[in-house]
Formats: sequence, C-alpha cells, structure tokens
Amino acid sequence: MGIMRMGYAHVRVTDLAEAKDHYANTMGLYQTLEQDGRVYYKGWDEWDHHSVVLEEGGVGVVKFGFKVEYESDLDVIEKKAQQFGLTVERMSAGENPEVSDGIRFITPSEHVLEVYHGQTVIGTEVGTHNPDAFPRHLVGIGVPALDHALIFAEDVRLMENMFREVFDYFPTERVQTDLDDDDAHFIASWMTSNNQIHQIAILEGEQSKLHHFAFKLQDWNEVGRAADIMTMDDVPIDIGPTRHGITRGQTVYFFDPSGNRNEVFAGGYPAYRDRPINKWTPDQIAKGIFYHARELNERFTTVYT
Amino acid sequence: MAIVTVDPSGEEIYLPADQTVLGGLYAAGYAYTIGCRRGGCGVCKVDLLEGGVTYDHPVADDVLSREERQEGVCLTCRAVPDGDITVRFRSGSLRLVQPLLRSLNEKSRLQAAASAPQPKE
Ligand code: FES
Ligand SMILES: [Fe+2]
Repeated sequence: MGIMRMGYAHVRVTDLAEAKDHYANTMGLYQTLEQDGRVYYKGWDEWDHHSVVLEEGGVGVVKFGFKVEYESDLDVIEKKAQQFGLTVERMSAGENPEVSDGIRFITPSEHVLEVYHGQTVIGTEVGTHNPDAFPRHLVGIGVPALDHALIFAEDVRLMENMFREVFDYFPTERVQTDLDDDDAHFIASWMTSNNQIHQIAILEGEQSKLHHFAFKLQDWNEVGRAADIMTMDDVPIDIGPTRHGITRGQTVYFFDPSGNRNEVFAGGYPAYRDRPINKWTPDQIAKGIFYHARELNERFTTVYT
Repeated sequence: MAIVTVDPSGEEIYLPADQTVLGGLYAAGYAYTIGCRRGGCGVCKVDLLEGGVTYDHPVADDVLSREERQEGVCLTCRAVPDGDITVRFRSGSLRLVQPLLRSLNEKSRLQAAASAPQPKE
C-alpha cells in the first residue's frame, strides 16, 4: 500500500514539434494522446496511459504525479499532508486525461505534486499473454519507463521530512556535512518507497526548479547505446556514459530540445527500509555524483530549468 | 555570414550563415560558460554591444526576460546574428581552447572578407 512510484512528469517545452521528435523518435516513447496543446506518452513497458506530459510554453516542470496502490491511500496521505502543514486540494477524475481522482499539494520546495490511484490501463507493448522480451521495432533509445526525478529545494532536510512523513518514503543515500544526522546540514537526499533505489532526489538549490527527470534502462550496454543514439540525433550530452557513486547507477545526462535535463539511468542496488543509509560528505560529492571523473562539471549545480 | 567581434580584445570570428553565436564560437575553437545548448538554462548569456540577433527558436520569458532583450542581453545558443555583431563576455569567461580551429576560422574570415564586394570610393 501507499506510494508505488512516480507515475508521471509533466514538463514545459518551448517548441512542441521539436520536443515531440525528441521524446518519440530519440527516446522512443509511445504517444498515447494529444489534446489541448498537451502531448502524452508512455514507455513500452508501462501499462498505464502516460508517464510523460509535454506542454508548450516555457521550460521546467509543471508537476509530478505519484501513484498509490489503493484509493483509500489517498485519504491517509491527505491527512498526513495536512498534519505536515500542507494545503491539500482534491482533484477530480479527468482533470488530467485518463487519470483518476486524487489529491494535489504544493511542497515546501514549491513543486506541485499530485497523488492518484488509477490511470486508464493501456497495457505494455508486449502484453501479458505469453509476452516477448521486448518489442521488436523500438524507436531510438526505446526507453521502457520513467524512473525518477531530481528536484531543487532550499531546505533539503525539510523536504526529506515531508517525503518521509507524507509519502512514507525512506532515504537511501544522502550528502550531508556531518555523519551525525543531528549536527549535519543536508545537501541532497535520495528517497524511495520500495526496492527502487530512488524515486525522487532532492538537491539544495533554487525553489521549484527541475534538475532532471530520468528514464530507466537495463545495463551499461543500453546506456552506451543510448549515448550513441544521442550523437546520431545531435542531442547535447551533459555528461556520460558514466556511473553515479551515489546509487551506483549508470547514466547519461543530456538535454531535451528545450534545455530540460533528461537522464537515462540503469542499475542501482536494491533499496530496503532497514538498510543503513549511505552517507556522502561534501569533500567527496564529486565522486558521489560522477564516479569516474570525480569532478563536478560546472553545469551540475548551475544548469537547470 | 557574420563577423562576431569580441570586446574588448577585438578578436574577429567568422560565422557562416544561420549559425548561432554559440555554435560559431565553439566551431572556431573557443569555449565559455554554457549549459544546455538548447535555450533552457540561461547560462550562455553575453552582452550584445553592437548589431542585432534573431532567435531561431522560441525562448522562454523566464530564461530571457523582455528587459534583458531590451538591454541587449543575448542568449548565445539560440541567437543567430542579423549581421556583424560585437559581444562582451561576462567575467572574462571566453577561452580559446582549440587554436587549430581558431586558425581555420581565421582563414574563412579572410576569404569571406576578400570575396565581399568592395565598397565604392
Ligand atoms: S546554454 Fe542553456 S540557454 Fe544557452
Ligand atoms: Fe537521476
């Protein structure tokens, strides 16, 4: 019960036609709807109606959706959010096309989060009846699914508390100024509700901003091939292929045609509630973020939408 | 084509038609502080001292505000010069990192200057 995953990322793009080309032909997402100037996509291994929504005008994130297992989870989360001091509104079914009723609130970091219990089920591209391992005619990178996002917040500890208390998330890794949590200032935190190494990460920085949202891949080979496709499609690569020390994930950071940072992310060890948190100190943050270069490029904390 | 003059050093860089300021400077061997290369982060701004530019894509207002445009701030990754321009980099961020490309660009610039119609006396 509770939150199962980040279900959708809804982002702004400056040029819808170019963005559509990127998300459909380079990332290989499947368009499921275009309506009222918004385009909806799913990955081939996702069964719900959409995981990415593009909206023309501006850059950055409009909102994120998180899916709970049971309708009754909404009441629990609503109450916990109110107890945390957040103002929660109810959203009705269809406010987001093909998405159930749910709740919506603004985080202390000024991001809009929605929580819902259902989306129209379309099914994966391989189906459930004696399915094949993958669709035969994937386009471009052919990402199977949305994975996680990294957002900025002025107060990382407050955001970690919010995700813990309202979403029942737990941190898997953290950058903190002191190994003693009570004395430490939290610089970044990676959090999840299940074995996925992170569903959301929070980095100290400008309120309401997006660092990146990420798509899942299997392994190094797929990450390397993804980078090859980016070169073919003239996608600006920010860094990679490389590894994150934090989460151990394999990665490429790159930019969509509006300058929103995307990531392809593979691996990451399984998370457990009782696993001790990995703690990184600021002197080793570069190794934590880019495990091979061990140097933060100047874009890591300065370039975002 | 256009010539980008860098203030205050006076260096002149040749840009083929339709190339962005960022694309042209990097092709000529220079580097400076840039980010997404796609108009989203605002990190690539320089000050435009002379000449005009046209944006080859829509640019979000929260990346480049109306006031900034009026003040001559130029988002280099999306700006294509209308003609010759003069720009000033912020905090001396422009660096020449590929002298080979720079010398090739200089040849292109001299060629372009030689083939340009001579102004009548
Ligand atoms: S490099 Fe990001 S706006 Fe130009
Ligand atoms: Fe990530």
